[in-house]
Order: sequence, then structure tokens, then C-alpha cells
Amino acid sequence: MTHWTLALPEIVLSVCGLAILLFGVVQKRGNPTRACTVLTLVAYLVAAVLVLLAPDGTGYRGTFVGDGFARYMKILSLAGAGLCAVLSLDYNGRQKIDRFEFPLLLLFATVGTMLMASSENLMTLFVGLELQSLAIYILCAFARDELTSAEAGLKYFVLGSLASGLLLYGISLVYGFAGTLEYGGLRHALIGGGPSTAVPAGLVIGIVFVFVGLAFKLSAAPFHMWTPDVYEGAPISVTAFMSGAPKVAAFALLLRVMAGPFGHLTHQWQLLVELVSITTMALGSLAAIQQTNVKRLMAYSSIGHMGYAMMGLAAATPAGIRGTLVYLATYLFMTTGAFACIVAMRRGGQPLDRISDLSGLSRTRPMLALAMAVFMFGMAGMPPLSGFFGKLLVFAAAVQAGLWTLAVVGVVTSVIGLYYYWRVVKVMYLDGPVPAFDRSVRSVSAVTGAMALITGLFLLVLGPVVGAAQAAAAVLFR
Amino acid sequence: MITQLAFYLFATVLVLSAVMVVSARNPVHSVLFLILAFFNAAGLFLIAGAEFLAMILVIVYVGAVAVLFLFVVMMLDVNFNQVREGLQRYAPVGAAVGLVLFAELVFTVGRWHLIPDVTPAAVAAGTPVLGNTQALGQLIYTDYVLLFQACGLVLLVAMIGAIVLTLRERPSARRQDVAAQHARQPADTLQMMTLSLGQGTDGQGGYLRPPGGYGAVAAHGSGRAPEDHETNQHLGA
Amino acid sequence: MAHGIQLVGLGPFLVVTAMLLVFGVFGIFLNRKNIIVIMMSIELILLAANLNLVAFSAALGDLSGQVLTLFSLTVAAAEAAIGLAIVTVYFRNRGSIQVEDVTLMKG
Repeated sequence: MTHWTLALPEIVLSVCGLAILLFGVVQKRGNPTRACTVLTLVAYLVAAVLVLLAPDGTGYRGTFVGDGFARYMKILSLAGAGLCAVLSLDYNGRQKIDRFEFPLLLLFATVGTMLMASSENLMTLFVGLELQSLAIYILCAFARDELTSAEAGLKYFVLGSLASGLLLYGISLVYGFAGTLEYGGLRHALIGGGPSTAVPAGLVIGIVFVFVGLAFKLSAAPFHMWTPDVYEGAPISVTAFMSGAPKVAAFALLLRVMAGPFGHLTHQWQLLVELVSITTMALGSLAAIQQTNVKRLMAYSSIGHMGYAMMGLAAATPAGIRGTLVYLATYLFMTTGAFACIVAMRRGGQPLDRISDLSGLSRTRPMLALAMAVFMFGMAGMPPLSGFFGKLLVFAAAVQAGLWTLAVVGVVTSVIGLYYYWRVVKVMYLDGPVPAFDRSVRSVSAVTGAMALITGLFLLVLGPVVGAAQAAAAVLFR
Repeated sequence: MITQLAFYLFATVLVLSAVMVVSARNPVHSVLFLILAFFNAAGLFLIAGAEFLAMILVIVYVGAVAVLFLFVVMMLDVNFNQVREGLQRYAPVGAAVGLVLFAELVFTVGRWHLIPDVTPAAVAAGTPVLGNTQALGQLIYTDYVLLFQACGLVLLVAMIGAIVLTLRERPSARRQDVAAQHARQPADTLQMMTLSLGQGTDGQGGYLRPPGGYGAVAAHGSGRAPEDHETNQHLGA
Repeated sequence: MAHGIQLVGLGPFLVVTAMLLVFGVFGIFLNRKNIIVIMMSIELILLAANLNLVAFSAALGDLSGQVLTLFSLTVAAAEAAIGLAIVTVYFRNRGSIQVEDVTLMKG
């Protein structure tokens, strides 16, 4: 008898999705997009409450697990998806892509991220990841009459499905050489052989393939090529989503797989993760310097952030994982806030995306400029803002684990990062004003304000967040 | 003996058709070779004892996916004149890289052994002798039901996606409105007339047509034109 | 059930899948022609992974590999449908599906 209530949040969310789909199709004549988006938000809220109430344990023949880690990641991805749904309300309407399928695809992608967070079996990993990726491929190409959007969708699709193929091949190798797909079984198999037994090369290759597949979804360094183009081409409401919840979920998988079943093989993959982390941080900060487009800047910024977050995994200690989790939380809110500011960049009805368009924003829209400055400095890791605490925790964990090179590279790239974030702030505060942006609607302003508050006053919630992250990280090291 | 022969036959054709998929000049040929590859892979599945999956591979892949490919290749007017200069330009390097990758893979998987101490989960152990299909069915509808449903969601997402990306409602598209059809009364469409001898009918000859002709009724599928309501009333009243 | 695999041995199966994988990757990176062929190469990679899973599943006497194959076949079919939809959208906008033309934005 499986413990089916474990997956109640996912089940309820999916059923809500089906109901909203039905509602949307029936109401098609009356343009039900707004209603569907609101219903989706309600469904997210219900799911979030259920996530918090969900019991712990393993169910569905060891394919699904409910624990503190899953809960933490699910709440984060629900929050990210919900905020993007709010942003899409206004943006999609103005871009004439306000079709009711949009919130639905967001919802199903979120179901995928939640499955990923709860994966206790490589099957769940694969199915969850694909559910999420397929929905995002469609969302990227959602502005189907724009060439950039179609091209973004195409690029993401081709590279993403290549990554999925390699991931599946890796899973098949792991399965063949370890004899099971369950994390518990894998862990048992790897430890059972004793430390002296050599791990078969096929298994290591399998792990590498799985890592590559996940690194692609994270847009970690050698597999980041798609990120700037896709971020630039896709509608901003989609980009905002892509840089948030799916990254969190991919990290959830990576942490679960690496620290769980392969936790015993730390010495086999630690160097790999370290190298990827270093290249990702370096590339994220160096390539961002010459960008003139805000979306591309955000793309490289998110690449860099993935590198920092991966630092905690490279440390492979509970403190490191805790740092990664806190980092992801701060990153999610900062990046969503920054994208809310980008959504507000609109003049004469046309969306803008160049950094120079922000010129003189402090005089025309002081509050928006202040919020954007908060996000930029937060991402750079300035002390009182949320980004600082995330960086502090991962750096500390890396140093504790003796990974000095990693920590030094991290600090250097942070300084470089400060430079290009400062460039944006400089344009807003020191350059001459250009005509003001259109008034932004209340929903966008509310998201911007709320995210700015979270980023600015993160110190107030630092304790609970770190506590939750600590509990979540402890689960992986049972 | 016959099994080995069958294996090597299927494997050879599979690999050769994979080569042709990648290197064929004409995309339509690529698709046809893809179909051949799927058929032979199904043969290999059969040899490995996965009967159900073999049939699924033939039905789903050959029947649906490959045909979809063929459909799109033919629908998009692809220019076949573009010879594969790229392939020739990059072939030597590519072949070297591919060979190395292949050698490494064979080297590692060639020494396959299970990690000691592992007892394969032997999922179907409790159930004595079941056919492959039956055993698979018992698993996916019980233990793995959550993932099975999630796969259903994947298909739903694909359906929504294909519709949302490619469906364009044209105003001239004709569409069936079942409710309107059911609501029609004989009196709406037919007019009983008593005609005296030698006298013809004028106008519609007993058939009532909606004002504006049937084209206006069809346009109501698009749901945009304001006069739709009017048409509706005429139909439904 | 593991009858066939015992006769043939696992090795030949794995060699075949490795070749399929290599040709698939080869097809993606060397193809400068059109995107649909790239998608077919991805299908080859997925086929390689599936064949691997089935072979291992038979050799291990464990059905979970076949269950995963069933799921991945489903997912691959969905993926093909979405991919072709995206290609169609792209073609409508661009009028071409040459790989060289997908360069509006340069990274």
C-alpha cells in the first residue's frame, strides 16, 4: 500500500491544472486569460499550503519522497512560478500573447519542478525534468509571431533535448552498472562494495553524463551557450520564470543525486564540480562586462550565480549544501525582482531592453531605480542585502572544506561582478535623463516592491531561512 | 543460433540505417531510414525479451512519430539543393572525435560487471510467471502509478503546446457547432408550402437559409465578428 | 525472459547502443543542413538510451529498466511533437530551417 498522500500537493496542483484547462477551453470566447492566471495563483497557494502540511516519508515504491529538503525546494519553486504568473498578467496582455494556455503551461512546469524536488529515483528525476523542460520549450516560443521568440524556442529545444538524451543515456549506464534506479539502492550498492572496491568505469561515465545533463539545465559553464540567446529571445515573463524555479529545481536534483546516492563517491566528482563551478563563475562575470542588453546581462548574471551556488555542492558538506540552499533562495527573489523591473521598462507601449534605456531613471522613476539598484547590489553581494549572506555561507563552506582556490576565484569574480552591476546603477543615477517609461501597472510594481523589501531586509528573515536550509541540508546527510 | 543470426541482422541494419539518417542528402530519405532503424530496434527489443516495448516502438514511433516527421518535412518546403558542404568540411575531425568517444564507451561498457553485493530489485519476483506485458502492466498501474500519470501530463503538455503554437483560427474556417445543430427545429429550415398547380415558388423554394448565406454561420466559429450573435439567434430561435 | 540476452550476451547490445549514440551526437554536431535532421539525431540518441535500458533490464532480470523505457518512449514522442511544432513556428517566421540561419542572436 503506497502512501499516496505524500504526493498530494502535486496531485492537487495537476487536478487544478486540468480544471483550469477545462475552464479556459469552455470560456474561450470571453478571453479567460486573466481568470485562468488568477486561478493558477490560487492553485499555487493551495499547493504551497499542502506542501507545508505534507507528511514525511517515501512512497510509490520508492519513487517519491517527502522531506524537509523537498519542502524547501517546492516552496521556492512555487514562489518563483507564482511571482512570474503575476508578472505575466500585464506583460502578456501588452505583447498580445495573453492566451490562457500560458498560466497552464507554467502550472504544469511547476508540477515538474515539484516532482524533481521529491525525486527518490532516477525515473522520477527524468520524468519530472522532462515535464518541466517540455513546458518551457513551448513557453519560449510562445510569442509565435516573433522571430526572436521562435528562434529562442528552437535553440532551447535542440540543445535541451540533446541534454535530455545524454542524461537518459547516463541514467541507463548507472542502472546497468549499479543494478537499480532507486537512490537508496544506489547508495547501498556503492557503499556495500566497501571503500576498497573500485567503482566500475561505466558507472563513473554514467554519473558524468547525468551531471552534464543537469549542468545544462542549470546553464553551468561549458553548457551555458544557450542561455543568453534564449533569455534575450523569449518573452520576458518566460525568461523571469526560467531564471527562477527551473534553476532551483535542477539544483534540487543535482544536490539530491550527488549528495545522496553518489555521496559516497565524493572524491570522484568533487574535482569535476569544482572545475565547473570555477569556469561558470569566471565566465558569468567576464562575459557580462561587455553586454549592452539587460536581458543578456541577466543571463550571464544567472550563469555566474549558478557557479556560486555550485560552490556549496563542491564543498560536499552539510554546511555547503545549506549555503547553496540559502543562496538559491536569495537568488530567486533578486532575479525575479530584477525581471519585474525589466518588465516595467516600456516606452510608448514598446518594451525596451538596452541598458542605456535605463539612463536617468533615478529622476524619472526614483522608486523603480532604487529597487533596481537594490537588486543589482544584492546580486553583487553588498553587505546588508540578501545576496551577501548567500555568498558568505558558500564561501565559508568552501574554505572549511579546504577549497581555497574555489573561494579565491569566487571573491575575485564577485569583485568583477560588482563592476558590471555598478555600471547599471551608474547609468540609472549619473547619466542624463531620457524620456520617462510608461506608468507600470500595480501588479508589476507590487512584485518589484515586495522583492526589493525581501532583498533589502533579508537580515530580518535570515534566521528562519538558514534554519530551514539547515534542516533541509541535514536530510541529505542522514 | 537463430537468435544470434537475428541479432546480428537487426543490429547491422540498425547501425547502417542510423548512418543513413545522419548522412542522407534528402530529409525524406532520412525519415525513411529512421523508420527502418526503429523497426530493427524493435527487433532487438524482442530479442532482449521486451515484447510490449517492441510493439510500442513500432506503433508509436513508426506509426506516429516518424509519420509526424515525414509530414513536417513535406509540409515545410525544404530546399533540397543545399548539399552538405558542412558535413564534408567537418567530417574528418568529427569522425576522429566520434571514434574516440565510441572506443571509450566500448572499452568501459565492455567490462560490464555488476557491483558486487547487489541483489537486483527483481521487481516481478513476487509474481511467478507473467508475460512481459502483464508484468509491466502490473508495475505501471500500481507501484509507478504516479510517474505513469506524470507521463500523461507530459503528453497533455505536448498537446497543448502543439495546439497553442501552430493552430491558427482563420475567420473562413468552417466549424461544427453541435449545440446550434441540436437546437434547430424543422420550422427553422423548412417552410411548408402549398402551391397551386402551375405556380412556382419565388425566393428560396421552401428552404430557409440564414441571412448572409452559410458562410456567415461558418464564420461564427471564429467568435470574433459582432454579427455572430445575430446569426446565432437566427439559428437557435 | 532473459533467454535472448543470454544467447547473444550483453556486450554486443552495448556496442550497438554506443554506435547509435555516437552517430546521433555526430549527426547533431556535424549537421549544417537542416534542423529536422538534428531532431532525428536526437531520436537516435534516445533510441540508444532506450536500447541500453532494455538490454540492462533483461540482463539484470529487473523490470524497472523497462518501465523507464516506457516512460522515456512517451516523453520522446511528446518531445518530437513539440519540437516539430516549434520548427513549424520558426519556419513560418523565417521561411527556412537551415541551421546557418538560426543566428539572429549571437552569443
